[in-house]
Amino acid sequence: MNTQNQNGYMLLFRGNDWIKGLSPEEKQKVTDQWMAWFRRLTDEGKAVAGNPLEREGKIVSGKNRVVSDGPFAESKEAIGGYFLLDVVSIDEAVAIAQECPGLPYGVRVEVRPVAAECPVASELKREAEFATV
Amino acid sequence: MDRNKAWIETLTAQGKAKPGRALERRGAFVSGKNGRFVTDGPFAESKEAIGGYLVLDVETIDEAIAIAQTIPGLAYGGSIEVRPIAEECPLDVRARELAREEQLATV
Repeated sequence: MNTQNQNGYMLLFRGNDWIKGLSPEEKQKVTDQWMAWFRRLTDEGKAVAGNPLEREGKIVSGKNRVVSDGPFAESKEAIGGYFLLDVVSIDEAVAIAQECPGLPYGVRVEVRPVAAECPVASELKREAEFATV
Repeated sequence: MDRNKAWIETLTAQGKAKPGRALERRGAFVSGKNGRFVTDGPFAESKEAIGGYLVLDVETIDEAIAIAQTIPGLAYGGSIEVRPIAEECPLDVRARELAREEQLATV
């Protein structure tokens, strides 16, 4: 895998129900840690955006543009929020993901390089080049 | 693809979309205490995997849905998850709810 990417990385936090069963003190501790973590990354210039997402929402799909309620993924796979990181190596992005305060409670962090252009568009270009050879 | 680009440009010009990006298909997954498990994808099944995102600056979910319905990729099997951005972390809200429930339960 190419490990350098100038476009940054996205951290997707997966898991929606891990907070259940924690004591109120623990919950407070984890959310405080999470906020402090984001603030530190922002101060260091490593996080450029981030948001928690509400749990409810809608899905739009198909040729007929049908609208349905969630669930999106199973609750342990559902995305609860994201950070957008301005770092150039996946190793650095992974190292930051490893600091996520939710990890000990079952949160999983998906680390994805942001694409310079839509990968579908790049594929089309490659196919077109190949076709003209 | 050009239709997709044009679609995003129109929304941005209308002030409804903030910069959004496509995501590369590869990546890593971090899980476990202290993030000790680092694995390559796949993340979700490929039809469920996330290919990109767009942050919309609109006030109602109906407007967000109406915009999602105009995405060119829908005709080819894509689907779009529309999620409100939370004013405050839902974890905090949920933590308060649970604390209240526990309080009530002990009354």
